[in-house]
Amino acid sequence: MLQTIGGLVVFMAQVARATFSRPFYLRQTLDIMAILVQRCIVPVGLAVAPVGAVISLQGIAVFKLFGAERMLSAFLGTAIIREYSPALASVMVAAQAGSSIAARIGTMKVRGQIDALAVMSVDPVRYVVVPGVLACVLVTPLLSVVTNLLGILSGWIFAVPLGGVDHGAFMDNLTAQITPMDLWVGLGKCAVFGLGVGMIAGYLGLNVGRGAADVGKAANDTVVSTIVLILFTDYVVSMALLGAGL
Amino acid sequence: MSGPDEGLIASVERSLTKLVDFVRFVGLALRVQFTRVPPRDVFITQFVDAGWGSLALLTMLTAFAGLNLSVQSYASFERFGGQDLLGMFAGVGGVRELYPVMAAVVCGARIGANLAASLANMRISEQIEALEVMAVDPLDYLISPRLWAVTLALPLLCGYADVVGIAASYAGAVYQLDLDAGSFMTQIQEQVGLVDIGAGMLKGLIMGWLVAVIACFHGYSVSKRDGADGVGISTNLAIVHGAVTCIVVNLFLSWLIYG
Repeated sequence: MLQTIGGLVVFMAQVARATFSRPFYLRQTLDIMAILVQRCIVPVGLAVAPVGAVISLQGIAVFKLFGAERMLSAFLGTAIIREYSPALASVMVAAQAGSSIAARIGTMKVRGQIDALAVMSVDPVRYVVVPGVLACVLVTPLLSVVTNLLGILSGWIFAVPLGGVDHGAFMDNLTAQITPMDLWVGLGKCAVFGLGVGMIAGYLGLNVGRGAADVGKAANDTVVSTIVLILFTDYVVSMALLGAGL
Repeated sequence: MSGPDEGLIASVERSLTKLVDFVRFVGLALRVQFTRVPPRDVFITQFVDAGWGSLALLTMLTAFAGLNLSVQSYASFERFGGQDLLGMFAGVGGVRELYPVMAAVVCGARIGANLAASLANMRISEQIEALEVMAVDPLDYLISPRLWAVTLALPLLCGYADVVGIAASYAGAVYQLDLDAGSFMTQIQEQVGLVDIGAGMLKGLIMGWLVAVIACFHGYSVSKRDGADGVGISTNLAIVHGAVTCIVVNLFLSWLIYG
């Protein structure tokens, strides 16, 4: 346990150093980003859109008790933008991208390609891990912009045409209550969670065991441990923001 | 996963063939699930692995989700002075939606990945063919007990998640946010009944079966020439498809039950 934590800290330091010093492998980063966007956009969209609908569906019943259906959109907007869109988008990025990054690095390690890179005096962390980490950090917020829109749209469908809330009131409350700060909090969370996904995938991929089964295990562990990390960080961040009054 | 160079038509065609295969697999699975009694020892092993094995993970995750639900709804409600209604919201949002879905998605990811990986491994190491040679129907021996195990384990996990989640959101609301404990509990008791917990468990039953059948399909339909890469791909597909299916199906179930 202690060994893992120590290894992780050393690994994080290596990644940080490699990220901010030359040479940069921009080409690899862009390639991975393109693949990530392509692969993640459908699962991420499909995962977040129903959440907006469910919030409207259940929220209307609760808000109706007080005759406050018009406030629904304010709640929907903040819940989607600040909480659910970042958390779910990152969970799906972890499931789709994190596991495949871990599997790719793990396969390279098992085949001895990582050692071959080191022999050619190419730093494997710099060449293989950093592009993946950067791609996750940049792509997750991008995806979350799309899912914000999708989530609010599906919430609108269940609130206005199906739930009988007035369209004007819905839009007014939405625009009045959501501040730019909410957007920044959401995007910031995404970037932090994306960093977690990339780091864990890189670490578990590089520290894979010997065979093909171990690669599968690394991919699996990436998903599970990232989900735990995301929920934990989410809680800490929410507490900190609540304390800071943002 | 399709490569970036693949044409659109080819990839649509491939997805459609896969879909047809899946429907056929569901038909076979249903038939084998309901016509014969699954072998008991395999069922028990799988049930324990799916249920007991997910417990630690689920406890940790629901605890954080419950705390999160309190803290985050508090932040949203504070804007219009509704923080005293947190109990109601934590109860309704948590028990009806969040905890069952989370149990299904997270345990589904873990269980589904295990199922797909183990079946795919058996496929590429020719163990499934070996069963056929011994005149043991692999669907009967491998798939049916797994389907039953996950279908029956997930509702229990959902019920358990409800309990842990409510306890955590209570702890968050009362000890961290200093809300009134009595009013929090009253609101939960008023809003959440056994019906809601039952509905959550029903969702668990349906999502559990879906997760299991999707994972079994991906694991079982790996072909031998895909080799070790095929194991990784099928695991990944099982996780992603399972999670997306759970979230989408949850919407329709909620719509049916509460809409």
